[in-house]
Amino acid sequence: MGTVSPARAATPVPVHEPQVEVHQLANGLRLVVSPEPSSPVVAVGVFYRVGFRLEPQGQTGFAHLFEHLMFQGSAHAAKMVHWDLVQNAGGVLNGFTRHDYTAYFEVVPSSALETMCYLEADRMAALDITEETLQNQREVVKEEVRVNVLNQPYGGFSWLELPQHAFSRYPNAHNFYGEFSDLERATVADARRFYDAHYAPGNATMVLTGGIDPDAALAVVERHFGGIPARPVPPEPDLSEPLPTARRRVLHRDPQAPVPRIAVGYRMAPFGDRAHLPLTLAADILTDGRASRLHRRMVRGDQVLLDVAAGPNFPIGDALDFRGPALWTLEATRRPEASAERVLQILDAEMDRLGADGPTAEELVRAQRRWLSAHYAWIDSLRGRMTVLGTLDAVHRDPRQLNRLPAAVAAVTPEDVAQAAREWLRPERSTVLDWVPGTR
Amino acid sequence: MSEGIPALGPVPRLRLGRPLRTELDNQLSLTVVARTAVPRVELHLLVPAGTVLAPVPASGELLRRALLTGTAHRDSVTLTGDLHSIGGDLQVAQDEDVLMIQGSALAEYEAELYELVADVALHATFPAAEVAAERVRLAEGLRMARSTPHFPAGETLRALVYADHPYGWPTPTDGQVRRCGAPIVRELHRRRFRPGAAQLTVVGAVDPRRSVARVRRAFGDWRGRGGQGRAPAVRHRPPGPLTLIDRPGSVQTVVDLAVSTPPIGHPDHLPLVLATTILGGGMASRLFRNLRERHGYTYGPRTQGDSHLRDILVVSGAEVRTEVTGAAYAELLYELGRLATTDVSAEELEGAKRYVTGTRLIGVQTQAGLAGSLASLGAHGLDHRYLETFADRIGRIGAADVRAVAARHLAPGRAQTVMVGDAKRILDEVRVFGPVTLRRATRSR
Repeated sequence: MGTVSPARAATPVPVHEPQVEVHQLANGLRLVVSPEPSSPVVAVGVFYRVGFRLEPQGQTGFAHLFEHLMFQGSAHAAKMVHWDLVQNAGGVLNGFTRHDYTAYFEVVPSSALETMCYLEADRMAALDITEETLQNQREVVKEEVRVNVLNQPYGGFSWLELPQHAFSRYPNAHNFYGEFSDLERATVADARRFYDAHYAPGNATMVLTGGIDPDAALAVVERHFGGIPARPVPPEPDLSEPLPTARRRVLHRDPQAPVPRIAVGYRMAPFGDRAHLPLTLAADILTDGRASRLHRRMVRGDQVLLDVAAGPNFPIGDALDFRGPALWTLEATRRPEASAERVLQILDAEMDRLGADGPTAEELVRAQRRWLSAHYAWIDSLRGRMTVLGTLDAVHRDPRQLNRLPAAVAAVTPEDVAQAAREWLRPERSTVLDWVPGTR
Repeated sequence: MSEGIPALGPVPRLRLGRPLRTELDNQLSLTVVARTAVPRVELHLLVPAGTVLAPVPASGELLRRALLTGTAHRDSVTLTGDLHSIGGDLQVAQDEDVLMIQGSALAEYEAELYELVADVALHATFPAAEVAAERVRLAEGLRMARSTPHFPAGETLRALVYADHPYGWPTPTDGQVRRCGAPIVRELHRRRFRPGAAQLTVVGAVDPRRSVARVRRAFGDWRGRGGQGRAPAVRHRPPGPLTLIDRPGSVQTVVDLAVSTPPIGHPDHLPLVLATTILGGGMASRLFRNLRERHGYTYGPRTQGDSHLRDILVVSGAEVRTEVTGAAYAELLYELGRLATTDVSAEELEGAKRYVTGTRLIGVQTQAGLAGSLASLGAHGLDHRYLETFADRIGRIGAADVRAVAARHLAPGRAQTVMVGDAKRILDEVRVFGPVTLRRATRSR
């Protein structure tokens, strides 16, 4: 018995499109506003177009270390003032560094909007970096690396390790968290140089979502950010990377890990490529839940895996948040009795099958509806909507894509998925990371 | 505060309107809230099937894992396929006290979502082969968990705080997982999944009256009485020596101090919410300022509450680099002692009040957040009014109340302490603080 008859599968889905307003200030700062006037909450995000990939050679981990320094005080808000004010506002804050941007946000009751704009403007205009705060945050970042990587089984699996083997040029292929020796070498002068190069208003996008009307939003942003002088904006970086022509295999031994895991990183199609959304849906068709292909074949059928998951820029990113080369990554826990060779043999056969026959109509509709439901859940959250709008503007200069994506996803055909798989999910375009227990 | 920074406005009041609350003829209680921002529907079905209400070790965990692997009408692949066809998602969450089925779908498939969840609640079959596969996955999952430094810390703390109380039950062993067969899981499901003991919460782009009719159609045939159950009351035990679990080669030490505190609804609870917020509840907290921002000992010091029906386990601690284990522990003890013996400042108190009321307001803005909040409150016999009156009740608490509950519950002399780290490098320094029980970390059993 199935609840959804084929006739039902053709029902058009109701459209929900949040309002998206885009402005640019004279100093180059871009502003994206998505109002929900009845909401008592507002999300404030500032996205700078600099991420892991643009940290200078010999300064691995610098983009993320710098994210920490952005919370250490500015000209008119000493260390701790920012955190105290966000807490006193009744809100939350955080920052996160990705491949191609670094973002800072606050989610607060809308009564605190003016205060949040002041704080963000102050650190965009005049960040205060001292020896003392740099030394303190260097230690904090090293503890972050220890807790997330060095003192954990599977630390750095696979987001930290895989790109170092899948790519060949420094921007894409270095340690994004940073070598301790590089972190120790970082100076206040390095930090000032990085700030001057990348944290100009013209290199930033501000996003406001929630309880504010668009005119008021523009006025408050003008008031606080309009006076920040324009500064030079860095040229577009060269992040290009040759496509791999043969499968690469890497063995990594982890003394803390009890069972083997495996990651396979294929090159991902860029945003806007005709294979981009089909590859996004292919990840769900292959690995999302018990009805997915690799679950049925590899977890249940041949029983070579205990679990499997995949996605574009997985597991720390998504289909939208990169502008340079990226990976479509599959991660799985391998049964110890099944060799990596056997796993790859079956995986390659399943990729071939997807490329030859495509998904069934039903498989594709399921993936499309799951995508749409997750999209709605994400934009129901003001923080989620702020994140996707900031990403679309900072990375692709096109925040209105937010409302075009549902139709674009719905338009993907089984043949689009087959063609994308044939072109991109090929063994010779992949890097395999075998992560096994033990020391040698 | 520096001059020129715009003043903060008041934290807006949280208003939810009046949810539709009713009970079906079979005593299933139902709460529906219309939230139409996006065309989705969220559903939480709560049943008293937490791990401590499953007397056979591993049976609760296997009930959770195998719940979606088959019904009288669908095998596991069909169930997932039907679910995904409505843009749906089903997760099964479980703590010591309750099990929660969390579902969502595109709003146009509201009725189909109820039908699928009802099929699971009423007709789950726990096929032997599926339960066997879940046993393998549970055992592997536990092996992986045991290899992290936090697992032995948590398990040991619970054993110390709760002793024989079910909240202190150890995680099942490999042998216990192997011995737990499908019939035991089926029996647990039969005993605990009763409409009178269950609560259904729906939030989304729905017409609440029509939702009631649809829920009645899907769940009306659910029969049976009873099913209720809850853990016994928790008694405080005076702490024993600090337990050091040896994890050779660790580059950090996990330092955790734990106390059992009263549950939601107890008069001390809300003052404790403020006390734990000031102590370690975020980036403006004392632990964060001290251990991270002043000393750089750790990435994320924190005080966290693990909320049960019968108590809240409050754990304060941090992962600190091995070299500063003793120094960091001294600062933790200092902050716990200071909170119990001196008044918090007016600014700290006001900041904490605004933080806990503001973040609750933010937390219920989404369909998923509101459904989760209402369902969790339901487990404690509370409803939306708890959220709406929260700010007023928090507002009446003074510094003396915070100090009193800190002395009564959070004082360092009441805490059980566990460290996980490289014993040969830290034992001498930890002994400075008093007697130490040394144990080895078990990787698998």
